[in-house]
Amino acid sequence: MSMKWKRLGENVWFLSPSIVLTAALGVYPLIWMLRYMFYDYAGYGEPLFIGLDNFQRLMRDGQFWESVGQTFVYAGGKLVLTLPVSLLLAVFLNGKLRGAGLLRGIYFVPTIISTAVISVVFYTIFNAYNGMVNTVLMKLHLIGQPIDWLGPKYAMLTVILVAVWGAVGNYMLLFLAGLQGIPQDLYESASIDGASASRRLWSITLPMLAPVAQLVIMLAIIASLKGYESIMLITEGGPIGKTEVMYLYLYKLLFPVSTGSPVEQQLGYGSAVGFATAVIVGAITGLYFLLSRKMNKMY
Amino acid sequence: MQKKWVGLSLALVLALVIAGCSGNSGTNGTSNTGTGNGGDTNNAATNTGNNNATPDTPAGEPVQLKYWTDDRHDQEYIKELVDEFNATNEDNIQVELTVMSENYTQSVDIAFSSNQAPDVLRLKSGNTPDFFKKGYLAPIDAYMTDALNEKFGNLLLDGVNRFGGKVYSLPNTGLTLRLVYNKDLFAKAGIESPPASLQEMVDDAKAITEMGKSKGIYGFALNYKSPKSAFDRSVREILSLSGHQGLGFDLKTGQFDFAPYGQIIEYFKQMYEDGSFLPGAESLDIDPLRAQFAAGKIGMYLSFSTEPGVYTDQFPTDINWGGALAPSLDGEIKGTSEIVSAGTWLGISAQSANPEAAFKFMQYMYGDEILTTYHEKGFGIAIVPSIVEQAGDPDIAGMEGFLVGEHDSLWPVSPTVTPEGPGYADAYFKYMIEGGDVGAIAEDLNTRYNAALASAIEKGEVSVTPMPDFDPANPQGE
Repeated sequence: MSMKWKRLGENVWFLSPSIVLTAALGVYPLIWMLRYMFYDYAGYGEPLFIGLDNFQRLMRDGQFWESVGQTFVYAGGKLVLTLPVSLLLAVFLNGKLRGAGLLRGIYFVPTIISTAVISVVFYTIFNAYNGMVNTVLMKLHLIGQPIDWLGPKYAMLTVILVAVWGAVGNYMLLFLAGLQGIPQDLYESASIDGASASRRLWSITLPMLAPVAQLVIMLAIIASLKGYESIMLITEGGPIGKTEVMYLYLYKLLFPVSTGSPVEQQLGYGSAVGFATAVIVGAITGLYFLLSRKMNKMY
Repeated sequence: MQKKWVGLSLALVLALVIAGCSGNSGTNGTSNTGTGNGGDTNNAATNTGNNNATPDTPAGEPVQLKYWTDDRHDQEYIKELVDEFNATNEDNIQVELTVMSENYTQSVDIAFSSNQAPDVLRLKSGNTPDFFKKGYLAPIDAYMTDALNEKFGNLLLDGVNRFGGKVYSLPNTGLTLRLVYNKDLFAKAGIESPPASLQEMVDDAKAITEMGKSKGIYGFALNYKSPKSAFDRSVREILSLSGHQGLGFDLKTGQFDFAPYGQIIEYFKQMYEDGSFLPGAESLDIDPLRAQFAAGKIGMYLSFSTEPGVYTDQFPTDINWGGALAPSLDGEIKGTSEIVSAGTWLGISAQSANPEAAFKFMQYMYGDEILTTYHEKGFGIAIVPSIVEQAGDPDIAGMEGFLVGEHDSLWPVSPTVTPEGPGYADAYFKYMIEGGDVGAIAEDLNTRYNAALASAIEKGEVSVTPMPDFDPANPQGE
């Protein structure tokens, strides 16, 4: 057997686990979705081919487009708060601080706690009738009446805060990994030259971190656009759709969550919505890469 | 040797990919065969085919059955029954009980699509037609004895527990719907009796809130985290007592008409604007609501006859509470209070490898003693005539207000359709919070629901026969 065939055999053998997993969990569902988005299919009976009807329905589906708008608010709010806070924490904990290891662990804990547990805890903290937030604010005489943190006015803010709390530790760790890759001798040279701490941050840390930051921000954008689990558990998208993000809307089409009488699964239309959401997330991610390409060449 | 490894690797890849694909295809195939347009007979045939699967239990090993339910109010009693069955049955059958807390239908869907379905399922009138259409259920006609036919025969209804001429479940209990109210808070607010009309309900909620707001006590609440769940346990009952079908369907014309629904919502909106709702009701789930009611913070809400069981086992409470007939639109009772979730209890999975053992367990559960005790413990209101005759009143606090009376009855089944856009509950909840044109909302709902109904009829998924002489005061026409 020639060396070439031997090498090919080894390659196939080593790649086989990922080929199998990608085919079964990635390619097959994708083909399934691409097929059924042209069908009227509720999960039983004969799927009915309806051409582009699902996409025509999508264009006139006000609920979907509202959910797209809510997604931008949710993702924007989460990113605006999460990224600066996690970067600042990373810079802070990258110094020679006593107990930095313990603090890193504490900040990272929310990342590994079950979303279900986080959601129940935050519901208990924020609910209007006996939640801890209102109790404390009222005892401090900062408010006279309970605030409905999960009501139409503040529900989005609340679910964003929950998401930020769950995400900061994760991105802090990624930024920290990037910071630790910056050579220390750069800082030492800058110090000898008399550069202040803020100057070192602006002129060394941030430019050197840019390639890592580009990737971290991309991951954060995708995660924010796709996030819905804690929202589903805390508000189920309500009240009156004020926290219904597009992936939650999609989830409800595929797995109706109402506890009342059943609402039928809509696998065909759900597939079309799934395709549209993937296009939206893909387009935003692509646009981000286009706009941020200079970050990869900052040093 | 290397060639052999390459061959083995490729074979493994192909086998796994094919297995991954065929699992779903198989499931789809079953459903497709079973539920083509009006394919009830095919479905039954498919199910029966699955039933013939050879049990894979080795001789001497117990037959293992899985029993899934989403009932939590009776879980302690059901667990006792399962333990007793496991200890005493002579057929070497062991049943494993799983009580789901949320997303039961979704869990069942996933279990069936991954061939890990339970053998015995809790069926409700809401999920049975859907489970049947998906091919999840096995018919039980072959196991029905003369005694069982005599006991349940008159109660078997098309579209409830019988589909395509085959029986898939047997009845046990139904649920009545009532106003649940805190008697002490009513008394403190100077209210002598529960409201008979919606205007009285609005006034009472306001009076209770004014009396107790400083202590965190409010007049009214519903579990609006799921508006559909909230309205289907409240508006539904008020409508049926007022002479209208409770889910927006007009039985006389065979079309949806949401105009009466909007009239009820106006009063709910008034309570919301008055500030009579428990703060945070917009995102309240049913269990947190019950916890607050048990703590004496809510004057009244509307719910099923499961509540006495809940306040005995799940949220024991010392408050003085009771159940009363729901108010009607104008105080006049022009219809009857609909008994819901009646007609089904347990069913057998089409994927069960041991359907006979599953039916033996089912037969045990449907025994006279168990059904009688189930009623007497207050877990549900018995509707099987032979059980009604012998059962005493439930020995559970608060159940007296939920017992079937002169104003309760079963109603004909209304069609379930999925329209484009928001459902009636979401549309009316939005109106309740933000306002709008209630007439236009009803018109929009009528258009979309009737379009969905026409489409479902065309596809053979539902059939509707208008009942021009329907009498809401006598829905069974007897």
